[in-house]
Amino acid sequence: MKRYCLMDVGSTFTKGCWVDTDHVGVLAWASAPTTASSDINEGIQNVLNKLKTIYPDFNYESMRLCSSAKGGLRMVAIGLVEDLTLKAARMACANAGAKLVGAYSHKINLQELKEIEHLKPDIILLSGGTDGGNEEVVLHNAKQLAKLNTALPILYAGNKSCQDEIQQILNEAKHDVRISANVMPTYGVLNVESARDQIRACFLEQIIEAKGLSALSTIVQDIIMPTPASVLDALSLLAYGTKDEKGLGDLMAVDVGGATTDVYSLTSNQAAPSGVQIKGLIEPLAKRSVEGDLGLRISAKHVLDLDSELHENEDLCRYVDRITQEIHGTSNSSFDIRLASSCVKIASRRHAGRLEQIYTPMGLETIQYGKDLRTVKTLIGIGGPIVYADEPSLILSQVKQTEADILLPQSLEFILDKQYVLSCLGLLAKTDPEWTLKTMKHHLEKING
Amino acid sequence: METVVIGVIGADVHAVGNRIIEYALKQAGFNVVNLGVMVSQQEFLDAVIETNAKAVIVSSLYGHGELDCRGMGDRFIEAGYGHVLLYIGGNLVIGKTDFSEVEVKFKAMGFHRVFPPNSDINEGIERLKEDLLKS
Ligand code: B12
Repeated sequence: MKRYCLMDVGSTFTKGCWVDTDHVGVLAWASAPTTASSDINEGIQNVLNKLKTIYPDFNYESMRLCSSAKGGLRMVAIGLVEDLTLKAARMACANAGAKLVGAYSHKINLQELKEIEHLKPDIILLSGGTDGGNEEVVLHNAKQLAKLNTALPILYAGNKSCQDEIQQILNEAKHDVRISANVMPTYGVLNVESARDQIRACFLEQIIEAKGLSALSTIVQDIIMPTPASVLDALSLLAYGTKDEKGLGDLMAVDVGGATTDVYSLTSNQAAPSGVQIKGLIEPLAKRSVEGDLGLRISAKHVLDLDSELHENEDLCRYVDRITQEIHGTSNSSFDIRLASSCVKIASRRHAGRLEQIYTPMGLETIQYGKDLRTVKTLIGIGGPIVYADEPSLILSQVKQTEADILLPQSLEFILDKQYVLSCLGLLAKTDPEWTLKTMKHHLEKING
Repeated sequence: METVVIGVIGADVHAVGNRIIEYALKQAGFNVVNLGVMVSQQEFLDAVIETNAKAVIVSSLYGHGELDCRGMGDRFIEAGYGHVLLYIGGNLVIGKTDFSEVEVKFKAMGFHRVFPPNSDINEGIERLKEDLLKS
């Protein structure tokens, strides 16, 4: 028997799950507001106290935690060519659970360097060049980063041939340098796993302290990760299953927050449809994308700018004016559903692959970029705005394909993470996959589309 | 081991020769980045930038090479990669145009060497080795 307390520290709420891996299912839940002060411990203590009050026999051997508090894991990605190593770097960041606050290609100049200083990312991912390929640009960029006025964690995930030199340049500048395998070791081949693991390790060792979470290390035993990373672990397990317990197969998930919208797709290998040429980087089977400009509060104004239909509704515009000023003011559920629908619609279209028809001397030819999600049958709704909406299916149905050239699912079944278990259970996905999968299946709820 | 980028340009889907060229270059000791068929000028350039390739071997079999290759040399020069060797071969134009005219046209577009139909790829590889020694 092993009892765990699994915590998800969000920007507004801290949630806790109490589990016993001898019994499928979660024993108990509790949540409390995440305190606005510099330390997030208070929220955690409040959740623990609640659990203790309700369950006198509340006890656990180990606590694990994921966090998106204090802006989550904020990263800057640097690559060489926009569509190649920069794209690979972006995907590594997203898969590690980070939110990209800046992205730069080719040689970075002093103005861009100032921008990076201003952005104050938690980690910078520096990539560029295939192994044995371009060294000139990453070396230039490392020398530029050496001039940053504050020491930062910098992960080098570029051309291995100049790795030693880069490490030396950044070490001398007193940066916290980490090294992983190249995000694009050979042309067109994406390799995000090694960089992702380094980002998670860095989050655990460095960021926690920087974000005032250090007091946690006394109560949290082993695993601390960014919340989206935990969700991605949970969803991978749910899709692909284990040796003895079948998964749900290919699936997608969406999570709308106040500032960002996350989209996940977990798919298995598939051949290109005949007559279609696939171009660009081959994207990961387990993919996460995060849209920093789509959300229900901080980013709500931007959603209006992007969706002209919403813009025409004057009452909705006034509502958005109000909620962007007073984030915790009373919300209007029908307006929130419209905003959330818009976020999901736009974010899923950015996530999915697309077909491009080009006119050639040979007539019309079709090229595919990104992932073909047309045969995905399951969509999971995560997070308060979707789960607590009066009609979640209204929001979720936005993921369905409406344009022939955007490769979104053609028919979908909807599932809700009503009890907020995914982010917490992801923390056990690698330790006890069998139990975690069964427990997720037990708590997820199918709804009518 | 020098890196060479290869591919079939434009909307051309003739794939067989491309695989033979990859094989021949590997046999000759090159590191090959094969972009396959239906490759755009920008894809060739992007691949060169990331991989630090010293040469590009473009194939065009379907007769529309002239249209597809316009501006290719300038594009490389503009991006700072004018030093990269550009070779082209295959069936460069439709019909029986005099090859010397074809060669002049493609050289004007920035190609360093232009090969007539049915050229042996190994012949091309020998020229490449010589040119790489010079550069
Ligand atoms: C098979 C074939 C097809 C197949 C291709 C299947 C595939 N996915 O590969 C299909 C049926 C799809 C096809 C379609 C067409 N084809 Co076709 N096809 C052929 C055919 C019969 C053989 C090509 C082949 O595989 N050759 C074998 C390989 C090994 O040789 P290779 O491709 O020439 O490559 C070698 C050399 O050229 C050289 N080389 C190539 N590049 C370079 C570069 C350098 C630097 C060097 C040194 C050497 C070099 O080395 C290569 C390896 O040895 C040829 C005729 C022929 N016998 O060549 C016509 C041929 C190439 N096709 C032709 C045409 C017109 C077409 C179509 C336009 C027909 C149509 N109207 O629809 C379409 C175009 C489709 C498209 N979008 O590209 C014409 C081209 C005419 C021209 N350029 O003057 C040809 C020559 C037939 C003809 N005599 O009319 N085709």
